[in-house]
Amino acid sequence: MKKISLAQIKPDEKVKILEILGGSNLESKLLSMGVYKGKLVAKLSHIGLKGPVVIKAGRSILALGHSVAEKIIVERE
Amino acid sequence: MIKKIYLIGNPNVGKSVVFSRLTGVTVISSNYPGTTVEIAKGYLCLNNEKVEVVDLPGTYSLDPTSRAEEAAVSLLKEFSKEEIVVVNIIDSTNLERNLLLTLQLIEEGFPVVICMNMCDDAGHRGVHINIVKLEELLKVPVISTCALTGKGIKLLIERIKEAVSSPRGKFTHQERWLEIGRIIEQVQWLEHRHHTFREIMEDASVRPVTGLLMAGGIIYAAFKITRFIGEGIISHITDPFFINIYQPILEKFSSFWPEKGFWFHLLIGDLINGKIDFKQSLGVLTTAPYIEFGMVLPYVVSFYFILSLLEDVGYLPRLAVLLDNLLHRLGLHGYAVIPVLLGFGCNVPGILSTRVLESKRERFIACTIISIGVPCVPLQAMIFGLLGKFGGFYVSGVYLVLFSLMIILGIILSRFLSGYSPEFLLEIPPYRFPPLFMLWKKLYFRIKGFLIEAMPVVLLGVCFINILLYFKLFDFVTAIFAPILHGLFGLPKEAVVALTVGFLRKDVAMGMLMPLGLTANQLFICATLLAISFPCVASFVVLAKELGLKGLIKSILIMVGISIIVGAVLHFVILR
Repeated sequence: MKKISLAQIKPDEKVKILEILGGSNLESKLLSMGVYKGKLVAKLSHIGLKGPVVIKAGRSILALGHSVAEKIIVERE
Repeated sequence: MIKKIYLIGNPNVGKSVVFSRLTGVTVISSNYPGTTVEIAKGYLCLNNEKVEVVDLPGTYSLDPTSRAEEAAVSLLKEFSKEEIVVVNIIDSTNLERNLLLTLQLIEEGFPVVICMNMCDDAGHRGVHINIVKLEELLKVPVISTCALTGKGIKLLIERIKEAVSSPRGKFTHQERWLEIGRIIEQVQWLEHRHHTFREIMEDASVRPVTGLLMAGGIIYAAFKITRFIGEGIISHITDPFFINIYQPILEKFSSFWPEKGFWFHLLIGDLINGKIDFKQSLGVLTTAPYIEFGMVLPYVVSFYFILSLLEDVGYLPRLAVLLDNLLHRLGLHGYAVIPVLLGFGCNVPGILSTRVLESKRERFIACTIISIGVPCVPLQAMIFGLLGKFGGFYVSGVYLVLFSLMIILGIILSRFLSGYSPEFLLEIPPYRFPPLFMLWKKLYFRIKGFLIEAMPVVLLGVCFINILLYFKLFDFVTAIFAPILHGLFGLPKEAVVALTVGFLRKDVAMGMLMPLGLTANQLFICATLLAISFPCVASFVVLAKELGLKGLIKSILIMVGISIIVGAVLHFVILR
C-alpha cells in the first residue's frame, strides 16, 4: 500500500486518512471539523496547481489550502 | 433560576436566525461560516421574566482556533453553570459534524437544550433523524426547528426550562468521533437518491474550469444588475420625484424669501441661473438630500440586494476557494474575499469582518487593502454619477487604479510584514434558497442602518461646511494646502475643501466637487484620491478598534504615502 498526500491524488478518488502531519494545532482543527485518522474522504477537486483542494468528509464539503492537503497522508482503498 | 441563555453551534447553522426568532432583534444572517463576528444580545420572556439571550459566533469545538471562537468560548465561562442555559443549535443536514461540540458541551456539564435546525432542508435532502432516539441517547431535550419559518420555536422556548446537565466522562476528540459514529447509526437514516440539479451546481462551482466560468458569469451579472437596478431607481423614482415634486416646492419657498442672506445660503445654497440646481447649489435642503437619496441610496439598495442574495444562497465561500491562489500572493487567503466584498458596500462592516481571519498580519493587510483599494457604495455611486458622463473609460480607470493598488500593496505588505499567514481551511455550505421575505428583511435592515448612519452626518456636515464657507473660514486651510494640491496633483484650490470633507463622508466630498466644473481628468484624480486617502470617520474608528493604535498609525502612514505618490503620478501621466 502506497502512502500519498491528499494533494497528490486525483479528483473523484476515495481515500482513507492515515496520518495528519503538521503539528497538533492543525490536527485538532481538522479533527474538530470531522477530518481525522481513519476517516474516509473523497477528493472533489483541486483548483490550479498549487491551489486549494476540495474534499467531502461525511456530509461536509471542506476546502483545504494546498499546504494543508500536502500534510494529510492517505491511502487508496 | 436562569440568568442567561447562550446560543452556540458550529458556524453557519442558523444561530442568528434562531436568535432573531427568540428575541425579535434583527441581526444579519448569511449562508457562510463566520457571519456573526460581534456578539449580539437580546431578551426573551421566560416565566414572565426577561432573560438575556446571547448569540455567539460559530465554533466547531470548545478548543477555540480563531478570535471569534475564542470570544464565544470565554463568554460561556462568565457565569456559573447553574445560572445559564446553553442552546446548542445543530444543522440537521449535517448532524454528524455538529455532534462533536454537543458532546463536549454535555461532558463539560452545561445545561444543554438541542435545537435541530433546518429540519425541513434535511427532509428535502433525504436525511431523516429520529429525534426521540437522539434525546434518549444524549439525555438532554432535543427539539427540531426550522427557524426561517418559525416552526418549532415555541416548543424550543417551552423546553429551555427543561435543560439539564448530564455530565459524562471526558473523552478525547478521537473517542468522541467513535461515539458519534455509534449515535449516528442509531438515529440517522439517509434516503438514497440521485444527484439533484442543486448538487450538480454545488459541485461545478468548486471545480477549476466550470468554477471559474461560473464565477466570471456571476460577477459580471452581479455588476450589471446592480447598475441596472440603481439606474432604474434613479431615472424612474428618485429623479422624477426631485425634479417634478421637490424642486417646484423649494422654488416657491425660496421665491418668498425676502433677503438671500446667511440662512438662504445655508438651506438652499447658491442659485444657478436663478434656479435651484440639486447638483450644484450645496444647500442643506437641496444638495444634501439629493446626494443621499437621489444619487447614493438607489445604489445602496441595488448593491445590498445583490450582495444579500449571493450571501444567502451560499456562493461567496465558493468564490473564496477559487480566489485562494491569487490572495495567497497578497499574504491573505481565500476567505479574505468576504471582508473585501462587504467593504464594497461600506468599509465599516468589511473591516469588522476581518475578524474571521486568524493572524494579526492577515488582518492588518486586509484592513489596509480595504481602506485603500475598496471604494464604498456611496463613493462608487458618486463616481458613476459624476465621472459617468465623461464616458465609461474614466470610471473603469478608477477601478483599474484601485485594483492594481490592492495587488501591489498586498504583494509588498506580505513581503515586509513579519508574522504568519495561517492555513486555509473552510467549510463550504450547501446552496440554500431562503424565502424572499428573509431577503427583504435583510435589505431593509441594511438600508435602515445606512440611513441612520449617513443622514445625520450628511445634513450636519453640509450645514457645517456651509457655515465655514460663508464665513470664509476654509481660506486658511486652503491657503496652506492649495500649493501642494496644485503643484502635486494639478487640482484647483477649491478642491481642498472637498478632499478635507472626504474625512467626514466620501459621497459628500464628491458632491462638493460638482459645482467646481473640473475637467474629466481632474475629477478622475480627485475620485481616485478620495478612495485611497484617509478613510471616513466611521471606518477610522473601527480601524482603530481592530488594529490598535500602532497598527492604525502604520496603516495611515501607508495611506497618506500612497495617496501622494498615486496623485502625483496620475497628475504627471494624464494631465501633462
